[in-house]
Amino acid sequence: MQIIKYPITVKINKSGEMIYFSQLDMVRILERALRRSGLPFYTTKGFTPRVKISFSGGLKLGVEGDIEVTFYFDELITVDRLLDRLSSQLPIGLKLIPV
Amino acid sequence: MDLLNFRKPQRYIGNEWNVTKKDHQGRISVALIYPNLYEVGMSNVGLRIIYGALNSYDNIVCERSFLPGEDMALAIKNGEFDLFSLETKTALKKFDCLAFNLSSELNYTNFLNILSYSGVSLIACQRETQIVLAGAISNPEPLSEFVDVFFIGEFEAVIDDFVSVLSRYSAKNERLKALSEIAGFYVPKFYAVDFDGKNYIVKKNYQKANLPIKRVYVKDLNTSFYPGHWVTPNTAITHDRAQVEISRGCPNRCTFCQAQAVYHPYRERSPQRVMELIKEIYAQTGYENFSFLSLSASDYSRIEELIDLALDFFRDKQIGLSLPSLRIGDIVGKLYTKLSSIKKTSLTLAVEAADDCLRQRLNKKIDIDTLFDAAHIVKALGVKNIKTYFMFGFPDEPSDNVLRIAEFIKKLGQETHLNINASINAFIPKPFSVWENVEMADLGYLNENKNQLLQLIPRSKKRVLGVANIEQSILEAVLARGDRALSKVLMIAHKKGDNNDGDWACFSWKLWQDSFSQAGIDYEKYLKVNTENFPWSFIEVR
Repeated sequence: MQIIKYPITVKINKSGEMIYFSQLDMVRILERALRRSGLPFYTTKGFTPRVKISFSGGLKLGVEGDIEVTFYFDELITVDRLLDRLSSQLPIGLKLIPV
Repeated sequence: MDLLNFRKPQRYIGNEWNVTKKDHQGRISVALIYPNLYEVGMSNVGLRIIYGALNSYDNIVCERSFLPGEDMALAIKNGEFDLFSLETKTALKKFDCLAFNLSSELNYTNFLNILSYSGVSLIACQRETQIVLAGAISNPEPLSEFVDVFFIGEFEAVIDDFVSVLSRYSAKNERLKALSEIAGFYVPKFYAVDFDGKNYIVKKNYQKANLPIKRVYVKDLNTSFYPGHWVTPNTAITHDRAQVEISRGCPNRCTFCQAQAVYHPYRERSPQRVMELIKEIYAQTGYENFSFLSLSASDYSRIEELIDLALDFFRDKQIGLSLPSLRIGDIVGKLYTKLSSIKKTSLTLAVEAADDCLRQRLNKKIDIDTLFDAAHIVKALGVKNIKTYFMFGFPDEPSDNVLRIAEFIKKLGQETHLNINASINAFIPKPFSVWENVEMADLGYLNENKNQLLQLIPRSKKRVLGVANIEQSILEAVLARGDRALSKVLMIAHKKGDNNDGDWACFSWKLWQDSFSQAGIDYEKYLKVNTENFPWSFIEVR
């Protein structure tokens, strides 16, 4: 069976209180935000399915800045829809920026 | 204060999803405190229920606080700042009421440490306005000098009365008097306790106060408050999943069990209501793991119906489910095909004793033979771990008890090929359990059995063995069974050091031995049964 997934890459700006959260915490925060958003997120097809999110680089604890994040979906969605639905589910201090 | 100077600063941020932040102006403030680290406290469901329920009142602001890490405690002791609430970083000493969950005896010293980190007087009668409330405790007597008012039972059931007392009165003594007249509340200073060598005799010195103290509980779980706005941590906690309570209490009467008495009677939440809560909590949190919370999920009469209802939802959304201890017969007979289609994390078996005869005396019903007969089914379920519980130190237990436990654990591993996580504890005769009047085995005997266990069950990659620290168990038993005299010992121990006694690495038995001898108290007397009644006999739990 061929598995099709649709990636969208955006930047996330980390500031304020969110600088205290590690890269591992970010995975947790984004996965839950994605689940709350109702968007058709893609999950890995293994024994323990997980929401697929990938990062290019990370930020040290305590540092403000941008990280690039790729989300994967089961169907094609627009960047605008992602920004619209996901932004409202993010804690203060995390901001989505289109690339 | 720069939080980056402390380990795990995430603990102190208080910006979790669904957190409640209110202006303190014009509101009664309650700090809800779990006397252990954030990761432990946030895994407690009772705390969440009370947090949500109190914040549903517009005139109440309820915020959380936990035991700070050692590094922050040090900064506090150096006078840099006082302990604060997470939501608004308000100093705890500014709250009208500090409410503690004291369900674990080994957190009693943490409770005192937190009062002292907050700059609050430890002694109840020395606090002029602030009320210290404690709940989730079975025998309040050892803490009677420190706590203004205890609540015995399920707080959701009296929360209206509690809020109205705080709203109506502002002076501390007026509030305490009014609370002491409500069922379930116990204000120690309104009672005098005498001991005549055989009996604890409790007398009121405020005539309207309750006696006996009757435990209060929720009548109907379908209408009682449960937090849909589940506070979702942004960092890992001990039980990192949304927990939906399917039943409360336990219909069994295992003789060693305190929970069956202090959560009496057995009540179920309907599968429909459970499903409503699952959907609401998922929509509010996006939690990737859920668990059904229950003392005995095996006894949930509509477990098949519930799993039928939940199955599609969990499968579609790829949500994991932790199975509480289900009856092996049910899994093998009915639930196996259904459960194998969803993501699961672990399976729990509370076996308690490997010997059939002893298990019968414990009144513990578990179908061991079915488990081994159907090991291939358990294996095919797709769980990675089996968690199992045992105890030793029971009265008149067979002399080869620990050998049987070791054999059982080995066999379980061989037959299922799964990772085994075995937790083995010493039997403690807890208040209100059927065996509250049984003598506890002594330190030497328990340690001897423990060492034997450790030798018999070598650790391996597929086997994690947790055996209780016996000295900790003895302390737990003494604090659980103690009387008012223990307040003195707790104070001495607190002054000797602010160790987190629940953490075996911080626990010092020497410190406690010294504290008991300094107070002139022989702790062993609390482990024997030489009296006609108990310090907790004025409380009726069922």
